[in-house]
Amino acid sequence: MASRGPPGARGGMNTRFAQFKLVLLGESAVGKDQFDSYRESTIGAAFLTQTISLDENTTVKFEIWDTAGQERYKSLAPMYYRNANCAVVVYDITQASSLDKAKSWVKELQRQANESIIIALAGNKLDLVSEQPDKRAVSTADAEAYAKEAGLLFFETSAKTAENVRDLFTAIARRLPLDQVGPRHSRPGQRQGVSLNPESPNTNVGGPCAC
Amino acid sequence: MEALSESTWDVVICGTGLQQSMLALALSRSGKKILHVDPNKYYGGPDAALSLQELEGWAAAHSSSDEQQAGQAVFSNSRIIRNDGAGKTKKKLSFPRAYSLALSPQIIYTRSELLAQLVSSKAFSQVEFQAVGSFYIFRPASTAAAAAAEEEEEEGEEVGSEEGQQEQGQRQRQKPSLARIPSTREDVFSTTAIPSRSKRHLMKFLKFVIDYEAEEQSGTWKPNADEPLAEFLRSQFKLNEELIGYILALTLRLDAPNVSTREGLAVIRRHLTSMGMFGPGFAAVYPKWGGMGEIAQVACRAQAVGGGVYVLGTGVRGTKVPNAAKYEEVEVELSSDTVVKTRLLVQGAGDNMATDGQKMSRLVAIVSSPLDSLFETVVEGAPLPVVAVVAFTQGSVPSPEGSSFEQPILTTVHSSDTGECPAGQSVIYLSTLSCPGASEALDSALSSLLEATAEEGEGAECLFKVVYEQLVSSGTPIDEGRTFTFPPSPAAIAYEDDVLSQVRRAWEKAMGASTKDEEVEYMVFADREAIGDDDVGS
Repeated sequence: MASRGPPGARGGMNTRFAQFKLVLLGESAVGKDQFDSYRESTIGAAFLTQTISLDENTTVKFEIWDTAGQERYKSLAPMYYRNANCAVVVYDITQASSLDKAKSWVKELQRQANESIIIALAGNKLDLVSEQPDKRAVSTADAEAYAKEAGLLFFETSAKTAENVRDLFTAIARRLPLDQVGPRHSRPGQRQGVSLNPESPNTNVGGPCAC
Repeated sequence: MEALSESTWDVVICGTGLQQSMLALALSRSGKKILHVDPNKYYGGPDAALSLQELEGWAAAHSSSDEQQAGQAVFSNSRIIRNDGAGKTKKKLSFPRAYSLALSPQIIYTRSELLAQLVSSKAFSQVEFQAVGSFYIFRPASTAAAAAAEEEEEEGEEVGSEEGQQEQGQRQRQKPSLARIPSTREDVFSTTAIPSRSKRHLMKFLKFVIDYEAEEQSGTWKPNADEPLAEFLRSQFKLNEELIGYILALTLRLDAPNVSTREGLAVIRRHLTSMGMFGPGFAAVYPKWGGMGEIAQVACRAQAVGGGVYVLGTGVRGTKVPNAAKYEEVEVELSSDTVVKTRLLVQGAGDNMATDGQKMSRLVAIVSSPLDSLFETVVEGAPLPVVAVVAFTQGSVPSPEGSSFEQPILTTVHSSDTGECPAGQSVIYLSTLSCPGASEALDSALSSLLEATAEEGEGAECLFKVVYEQLVSSGTPIDEGRTFTFPPSPAAIAYEDDVLSQVRRAWEKAMGASTKDEEVEYMVFADREAIGDDDVGS
């Protein structure tokens, strides 16, 4: 597996490839741990990726940053929110209190993150409610009304069965400014930093070439 | 919080300063059960970068000037002076969160082992490194004319150059100025600020210092290794006082007049060999968004990803060894009243740290000008620098009473590209070793620097400043069996690699016998990023 490619857009003739940083937030019990279906546990990955093809020529890759448990004791660092292009705030539709918690995450994002961040609200554990409708504790209408008022995208999902998960990512991808892209060096006019890449010449730090 | 006390931790780390955070990174793949706490509500401890709002709270908490209390705290005597919109230009501060001011900013030489470890541990990719550009020396107004006169004399033996004449014309303006220090051989070769004879001497020295450690060179310096570098430069290389000033400034040592030949040659060599390592035109880098505090956050995240538990706003109140005979674990009382058991407690300098009491005085100022002239690229293809270093050598800082301040002051100027302030402004960090009059001298240096960089019709004003003292030390960690305490950081504006060996000692202690395992390589980790769906090529 190649290491992360250059940020931003690339691609040939008529194709577009864009990469964005997405932060995933929510209480530990809401099931965000399984939100990415490729992963079994929170532990072990700095971030995951999810690739969405919007159309034949447009591919959007999300770099999904988990909280790595640092939210548990309110210990998330500013670097976690920094340059995040989008966020998914997850709550559990079978737990009324988890929506309140989600609302406070939205506030935190509005405080800490870029003004232009795209936020999606995801009511998770739809699979449980499909089986036993009486388990639902947050009505779709209530959550949707809140999302509309706060300017958030809204989906009810099941991370377990993957229901609506792809739709959620696709909806986010459609909202993102695909023409001025990149998770880190995003703003136009912003100057490029310095690369410490081991592959660059003159370095004495080894490592296989990932070009 | 009950959960924290339920089991025995392998390591409890207190404080998220750079040392403790690098330890957290080093242990992030060890499988050890780690609890990492910090009494502050932010990451980075003494290396943190704070918004103005956070800084207000921080300054209030560290304002004590009481020797009893302040003598033991890492930070003391802090106060904030605002001049928001009250100056002639009526320029104002932006909102508090637009700022991220570093408490102990340090530049990192490209040859630093710190960067090598961040690369081998794969943590580097989450930090945005930017270039540190030119190094300047401050020339006070009063001596500018004198220096020009002196040069005129020397220039008698030179083929008169036009540039030389222009240079001289500029010098005669009665205004303090900044002179860029030619710090590579190419620089020295092309500069017009140094007369040819001096150039030859300087070139000879630069050539020597690149491989001064070679056997055949040792006769030149080893007999003088413990003598002051300045004396060595004077006697062995016949450098004049101006050039000695340049070299001493490039050591970036606050005790430059006393720096020994041994230490001085090592840091000058570091400077020269770092140039160009990661690209043309820069010898050092600085992490965007507040320097070392950013590295601390990335290192802690690596530990969190590895399973470590993070609790901010919680410190260590005290420790107790439950059974001295057994001595296998220690009880740590947290400030949240929870008592946790651990095999090892690693912490930063605290109240019981015996140091020689050396302090560093700092002044951090937000100014109303981008100071663009300090951030120009001087080599083709070089990245735009975001940090400039300005050195005030011994005696060059005018003091209010007309006498001069007898210590060097080192300054780093950060552009808004560092993310530490909004566009159109810049942040100036000044520091010197604490002594009577230090705080006034820092103030005076700030005004002189603003005067020297002022362009026609544009005056830079200081909108906000914070002054404080910081306990520094070149001491070693205290190892008391089940607790391990890092000393305060050294007084340095360039990161000192020595500190890393202390982190490694703590790591060896935490790992026990497994460090002997050949599989266990310090700070060398495989990529753990981007586990996902894109392994399959599209």
